Order: sequence, then structure tokens, then C-alpha cells
Amino acid sequence: MLNTPTPELLNQLKQIVGPSGVVDQPQDIAPYLVDHRKLYRGATSLVLRPESTEQVSQILKLCHAHHIGVVPVGGNTSYCGGATPSSAGNEIVVSLSRLKRIRHIDPDNYTLTVEAGCVLAEVQQAAEAADRLFPLSLGSEGSCQIGGNLSTNAGGTAVLRYGMARDLVLGLEVVLPDGRVLDDLNALRKNNTGYDLRDLFIGAEGTLGIITAATLKLYPLPRTRVTALVAVDDPAAAVALLSFLRSSGSDALSTFELMPRIAIELVCRHIAGINDPFDDTHPWYVLIEASTAQLTDHLTEELSEVLVRSQQNQLVREVLLAQSSSQREFFWRIRETIPEAQTRAGGSIKHDVSVSISDLPKFIEEGTALCKGIAPEGVMVIYGHLGDGSLHFNINTPDAGAHPEFFAKKTALNNAVHELAMRYRGSISAEHGIGQLKRDELVEFKNPVAMQLMHTIKQALDPHGIMNPGKVLAGD
Amino acid sequence: MSKILVCIKRVIDYNVRIRVKPDGSGIVTDGVKMSINPFDEIALEEAVRLKERGIASEVIVVSLGPTETQQQLRVGLAMGADRAILIQHDTAVEPVTVARAFLKVVEQEAPLLVITGKQAIDDDNAQTGQMLAALWNRPQACFASRLEINGNSALVTREVDDGMETLEVDLPAVVTTDLRLNEPRYVKLPEIMKAKKKQLDVLMLNDMGVPVSQQFTTLKVSPPPVRQKGVLVKDAKELIDQLKLKGVLQ
Repeated sequence: MLNTPTPELLNQLKQIVGPSGVVDQPQDIAPYLVDHRKLYRGATSLVLRPESTEQVSQILKLCHAHHIGVVPVGGNTSYCGGATPSSAGNEIVVSLSRLKRIRHIDPDNYTLTVEAGCVLAEVQQAAEAADRLFPLSLGSEGSCQIGGNLSTNAGGTAVLRYGMARDLVLGLEVVLPDGRVLDDLNALRKNNTGYDLRDLFIGAEGTLGIITAATLKLYPLPRTRVTALVAVDDPAAAVALLSFLRSSGSDALSTFELMPRIAIELVCRHIAGINDPFDDTHPWYVLIEASTAQLTDHLTEELSEVLVRSQQNQLVREVLLAQSSSQREFFWRIRETIPEAQTRAGGSIKHDVSVSISDLPKFIEEGTALCKGIAPEGVMVIYGHLGDGSLHFNINTPDAGAHPEFFAKKTALNNAVHELAMRYRGSISAEHGIGQLKRDELVEFKNPVAMQLMHTIKQALDPHGIMNPGKVLAGD
Repeated sequence: MSKILVCIKRVIDYNVRIRVKPDGSGIVTDGVKMSINPFDEIALEEAVRLKERGIASEVIVVSLGPTETQQQLRVGLAMGADRAILIQHDTAVEPVTVARAFLKVVEQEAPLLVITGKQAIDDDNAQTGQMLAALWNRPQACFASRLEINGNSALVTREVDDGMETLEVDLPAVVTTDLRLNEPRYVKLPEIMKAKKKQLDVLMLNDMGVPVSQQFTTLKVSPPPVRQKGVLVKDAKELIDQLKLKGVLQ
């Protein structure tokens, strides 16, 4: 059982970080109590903002000794309430935002060592300043922090080419629940020395310790980017197009994002400065980008030729090729403002599922039919990273009204979509994680042996259950 | 029917972070992405729209630059220009030289209208269009945010300090374009493929009888000073003290 911190203990905790690291006034604490989607409202009497790994270590040591729950928070952009404390109010919050040094950049080794509180965009900029690319890229990159990205194994729009956050890490520095510091900040591509502990903490959502720093992989900075917005008949055509692009030698493909007509309509209606770049309306669209470190025209030539052949084979309806960086930015803005347009259009019930790419068309078709059966008034907004098999499978309210009768069907819709994903051996959380939102569903959908192993690991590393209680796994 | 000549410049893409050469002799252009000057892209779009409305019969896009400038001319052709002319020259020249070279093309093609961007984003001179009009001895209407052709004259709306000004100019004339004139189109793939087959003539600047004078010498190029880091103040009193210290407040 976890305890409520006594006033004496709160004082000891405050002393660790000093006055500048203490947030204890209600109006200052308030932002830490609500998640990004405003699904949860937590409570706490103290937020600590340590500025060193040593301070994080002292905090956890003390909380471990006194059985106090600790909720780590980065940019607070979780879609699953993963960084919001419970409403009981007995947990303390540890914000990593002051641990934000770029510790070391090694351009020849193509590595960068940063602290957990660095905002993702700052990490990208630090790499770019050294003529390198840190490829992790997602909608919230201007506010999410690298510690949170790693703790949730974030995905985003470049997974097709560079993999998930997990694939971009070489070494980690982690403060364990008892305060010990695991310094494994190696910058090695090859390192077969026993169990891979690093991967234990990536995607653990702060339930096994706090990541305080990471050594990240860098890549050559792309100098040539070719960006196309392509109209297709349906998701099956999009999948066929992806296969065709890959087999036609497009190794340079880095983005392949599927969008339905409704998404284009929503962004045109709700986002300033966006209009439909096509003359005609089309049922589905794909944003395609290929990139290479060379400054070359060949990539444009190659991609154009493959797309021309796709058009001849009636795989695509129409192709727009960005002719300038402002047109490229415009194409990307269409894709990246879908979530915002969706929020402005009304409420939504969201799913973050993945299945094999080859199953995606059937999944979309069957999932749409199931959801329409349950909630005929719902507007299906299905878009996402087709290139890596993950989809934002969302159902919007018909307009900006409250629609309580629609939200009453939330569980039924969740179950229908997730059960369908399981039938296809898919995942109920492709890239957003579990947090508190999907914790109970995880028990239903994940293999029981895997669940037992997760509990065993949790018990071994965090016997008192102080780390991010109630997230991913149910506490006692 | 009439021709429109569009003058474009190949410049460093506006998205590229500009780096100054360590010796201060210029900026780094090796391995840097180049694009059509954004204002010239607007000029191109306007010309193509005039052709689509039946006001012009042919759009010719012209540029002065190294052989790689053909890439930008091909983009112009994909946007809808009918043919392109490259005046090839490997080193940078001053606006008056560019205007003199474009004048040769103007004399050859006798367009009803010359449209170009109000300035290039690399050197920000904003001179070539005006100089061309003067050399050609025809009217100029610069910084257009609206353009209307009525037979042998054009109405050009331009943004000035105290509002909008509308000029009427006799054609032929030179019009330079501002950002608000239009939004350049998105190019469809078949247009890009068609552009590869359109006519692109290459002239050598040195063969055109244009004097290439260098009236200016660049002494030094340096990056803007790095912004100093801010300081956090505790309260309003400290803020006021700091402002007084810096001489902002008395």
C-alpha cells in the first residue's frame, strides 16, 4: 500500500530540489492535474522539478523508503492519461522539464546524448545544427519531451523509414525506483552483453523508473525531399501503391500517410489557410515523402516515373508533386492539422490500432461497418501511418454538440474496434501507449503469460509499486 | 494574341538555414537546396492564369543563371509556361546586367507584359523589374497585389503605406508582384512529365552583347549578432530596476 506524504516528508522532498524546483501553489499545480485530452483530473500537493539526475535519485530514494507514489511527467501530451496523477492526491509529480541539457553530440559516431526534459523539436534542432537528422517526428514535437517519447516508445510519421523511438536509442540513464542510477549511456551499435535492459524502460511509461538521459541515434540530414499528395480510390489501392513503390526501388520512402476525404473536408473547414489542393474531390488520399542525403534531381525523377506508371495502372487517381518548400509544408500541414480539425468539429472516440499492412483495407471496411452498426450517427475519421500499419481509427460526433447518447456507446465502440484488431492479431495501442486509459482493456486483450511476466518485472524493480501507480498495470 | 514574359531567379530555398562562409566572403551555396524565388513563382502563376483566361496566348519564362537553373525553368514549364529561355552565366551579376539581358529577350519576343517578383529573397535588391522598364522605356507598376488587363492597359493595385493605390498603365509594361497577388498552384504529375518535353532555349550571356559590369564589391558578409540569453527576474520591482539599469526606463 502506498502512503500519503506527511508534511515533514514533503519538506524533505522540497529541500532536495531547492525553492526554484518546488511547485506547491494550487494555481501552479493546476496544469499538471489535467491530461492533454482532458479525460482525467488528478490531484497532488507537490510537483518537483529536479535539475539533475542526482536530485531525481534522491527523490526516488526517499519515496521508495516511505512508499510514496511518484508520477513522472514530461510535456504532458499523453493521449492515455499516462502522466496525470490519480485523484486520490497522495502521489507526488516529478517534472523532468528542467533536465534539459544537450550533453554531447558526436557527429562522426552519429549520436547525440540529451537529458529527458529536452523538447523533441530542440533535439531535432541540435542534430540539424550538426548537419545530422534525429528522425523521430510527431504532431506534438513542439511540446513533448524526449523522456516521454522514450517512456512511451513514440511513433509518428517517419516510422516507415527509421522505426519507433525504441529503434533510435543506443543508451539510457535511468533512475530506478529505489534511487539507484543505471548509467548505461553507451553509444554503441553492437553491444551483446547480457539482457537488454534498455528496452525494458523504453515503453514502460515510467512504471519501472525514470529515464533521465538518453544517447540517441542520428542519421544523415536529408538534402532532397520529394513530397507528393496522391488521390486514390480506397485503402486497398493505397496498400497496392505502397507495395509498388517499394518494389520499384523506392528505398528512400520515409512517409506514407493515409487520409480519407472527410479529413480533407475537416481541415478545409476548421483550419485557417487550408484549401483543397485538388480540383476534383477524391475518396482517399496518401501523403508520400521520399528523402535522401544527396542533393539530387534523381529522386524526383524516380518517384515521378513510378507514380506515372501507377497512374497508368490506375492505382492512383491523381498526383500533386510539391514544387517548393512552401508547397511541401502545405501538404504536411493538411496531414498534421487533422487532429486539431477533428477536435474543433466536435467530440470523438479515438482508437490507436495497428494490424498488418495487408490486412488494413479489410480492417477499415469491417471496422467501419461495425461502428456504423453501433453508432449510425458517428462520423468515421480514419487516417494514419499506413506505411507502418497503424491507424487512428476515430469516430466523431456529427457536430460540435454534446451528444451524450453517442458517448454512451463508447465502451461498445471500443470493444468492437479492439476485438476486431485482435482478430487480425493487431494491437489496441499502436503508438500512444496504455496509461490509465487502456489499462483494464490490456488485461482483456494481452496474452496472459505476457501479463504475468510484466507483473513479475514490475515486482522485481519496483516492489513497493511507487512508480506511476495505476498506469499500464493495475496496482494493489 | 499576346505574349507574357515571366522573369524568374534561382535562389537558395527559403527554408534553408543560411550559413556564412568562415572567411566572410559570402554565404555557403554548395550542397544547398535551390528554388524559384517565391515572388517570381507568384509572377508565374499570374501569367498562367492570364493565359487560362484567354488574355495571353503564350507564357515564356526566362532566367539568368548557371546551367542548373534549368531545374527552376522546368518547374515554370510544369506550372504552365509554354517555353523557357535560360541566359546562361556561371557567376552572379548585378541587377542592371540582368535587366539588360532581359531587355534583349524583350526586344526579341515583344511581349505585351513582363511580370516578375518584386524582389529576390537572396539579395533583396528589388531593382531588376524597375530597371528593365526604364531600359525598355515602358511603364512600370511595382508590388502588385491585384492585376487586371483591359485591352491595351492594365489596372494594378499595390499596397502602399497608407492603404491601396491603383495605377493604370499602358501596355506593354513591367509589373512586379507582391505576396498577396495569388497563391501558386499545385502541379499535377502529368504536367511535370509534359514539361520535360517543352522547348527550353539556352543563350550564353557572353554572346549577347550585354556589358557585364561589376559596380559593387562585397567587402564582407557576416551573420546577424546572436541574440543574448534572457534573464529571469523575481518580481516587478526587479524588472523595473533592470530596465533602469539598461537605460530603457528613466
